[in-house]
Amino acid sequence: MSSSAVEAEAPDLVCRLDNVQGMVDALSAVRWKRHQDAVVELSEHGVVLIVEDTGCLQAKVYLQRELFVLYEYHAEGRPRFGVSLGLFVDCLNSFSAPGRSSMIEIQYPGPDMQLLIKSVDSLDACIYAEIRTRIPDTISWDYNFEPAGSTPLTFTVKSAALKEAIDDLEWPGSSIQINLQPDPPCITFKGEGHGDLQIDFTYYVNTDLVIAFHCDCQVSYRYKYKFLRATTSNLPSSVIKDNRGSKLTIGRGGMLKVQHLVSVARSATSHPHIGSAGHQQPSRIAYIEFFVKSEVDE
Amino acid sequence: MKFKAFLTEHGVNLLGRRFLPALDKMGKICHLFLTRDHAIFLHNLLNGDGVQCIAQFRKEALFDDYRISSQNEDRIAFAIDVSLLLRAVRSSVSICTEFGNGPSANRLQIKLVKKLPLNCTQPMPFLTFETKGYKSAVIQDVPISKPLSRAQVLELQTALELAQDIPQTLVRVPDLNQLQNFVERMKQVGDLLNVSISKYGDLHVQISTTLITLGAEFRKLLVIGEQAEAPSDDRNQSAQTRSERAISRGDAQRVQVSVKHFSRSLHCHLAKPDCTFYGIAPHGSCLTVIFQFFIPGTHQTDKSISLHCRLPVLDPGSS
Repeated sequence: MSSSAVEAEAPDLVCRLDNVQGMVDALSAVRWKRHQDAVVELSEHGVVLIVEDTGCLQAKVYLQRELFVLYEYHAEGRPRFGVSLGLFVDCLNSFSAPGRSSMIEIQYPGPDMQLLIKSVDSLDACIYAEIRTRIPDTISWDYNFEPAGSTPLTFTVKSAALKEAIDDLEWPGSSIQINLQPDPPCITFKGEGHGDLQIDFTYYVNTDLVIAFHCDCQVSYRYKYKFLRATTSNLPSSVIKDNRGSKLTIGRGGMLKVQHLVSVARSATSHPHIGSAGHQQPSRIAYIEFFVKSEVDE
Repeated sequence: MKFKAFLTEHGVNLLGRRFLPALDKMGKICHLFLTRDHAIFLHNLLNGDGVQCIAQFRKEALFDDYRISSQNEDRIAFAIDVSLLLRAVRSSVSICTEFGNGPSANRLQIKLVKKLPLNCTQPMPFLTFETKGYKSAVIQDVPISKPLSRAQVLELQTALELAQDIPQTLVRVPDLNQLQNFVERMKQVGDLLNVSISKYGDLHVQISTTLITLGAEFRKLLVIGEQAEAPSDDRNQSAQTRSERAISRGDAQRVQVSVKHFSRSLHCHLAKPDCTFYGIAPHGSCLTVIFQFFIPGTHQTDKSISLHCRLPVLDPGSS
């Protein structure tokens, strides 16, 4: 049916997805305020969505082509377009019915450069959407993440524990110091503002919370609380439930990278033998990365 | 002015578990209009910009020993808070089941009374629920408005008669839950909903703003009333083209309603209707939803119960 029209040129991308909720979850994770403009970049490897805030915070959602049941890419180069993240997520959410897996087809561009979405699993009931896209803004700040030294400064904590710690740091607020020390291996979150609060993750003590730790010299950087909070504030409940690790890395200049994994598997019932501890096929995972600039001491 | 009746067990179930929860979603206050043969719950019939909702019961569907008298042809109408009424019915049920013993023991009587409440100098009207248990009796007074005047009752009666026009074409929505789910999510995207209904059995709902168009089309639905054969060349078209063509052929109508109103009308599924039909009233004056109830265990319409909603059509110019 879809091939009935003879088109001069195939669209840049036609892809099909059988788990809309997974995509909604992944995109919601980078939704930290009501109005956010996102840039979407298409390539033969998949779809990347980028949002940023005042040059200090950037988030990327990687939806690899393996997540899609069909991925037809025809473009030269890497087409990009701008879209309202809130609208995109709310719209996708309309395609997701509870207790039912629904297959959608996403196409870009439409005849008027729109992003086209439609449900394809039923002939007699069809949901469709056209979202206006914009010419994307140039990304104002280069987020090239470089390691701080020869060995990476990195640690992995359970996502739920990380979220809880960052939520707790709300009341001291304003600025949060993250301190890594190799001996004894320990991560410290410290907030000073309306009172002090310090949260320690000691590697050997909290082995159930801290999964990995690499650090060969002590480092300490400060981050604005609101940006740190954005990295966990909208983590989908599936991430908290799966409770895999979230990986934090400190790069050159104190740039903080926070990585989460969001499962985009089909409904859980179809793979009852797969545990919740992160053994799902890597191809059914969406990767989410946040980059937070450290505060410059004055 | 007198009203006294006993709610049957079936009546208590209908009101407490199905209709009042649904009507409660339609709005806090409704009119209860009692006649010699019917009890009718009416939302927004006199003050016109919300969703009109009309639930009509033949007296036998709810009551036995139904007695009504008034100087206005035995008609009584008043305004009542639906949630209070629901609470009274529900707690009466719990008393009945707790103490009830045999069919005659748990009789639930309702009547219209005037009482002098504490700290008041004027007697106030109430709808009183009286439950006689095994050893105790519980009386609940639900406050109501002053009964409507003769002129107001006439106005209500006229509005009720005007609200009975049936659309020429009605389509049956098979899965109300699915539609409600979709509309609840759609609400995030915009406020105005375009609804078009065709004689081919297509229901097409769409929100369109400057940034987004989001819609759903349900096809090959059961049609009641005027119907037509869908043109075969429409099959490969998009939903939007199909509706446009059907409208230009005169085979479909389109109206614009508030998404909030539409979603509210879907809450009527709490009344557990057996079928739901959507149609557009003649000249596009409103979007009508008709709920059909079967006699339990059959596929025959239960004519003693009727429920329908009328959604006001928004002026496209005002958007």
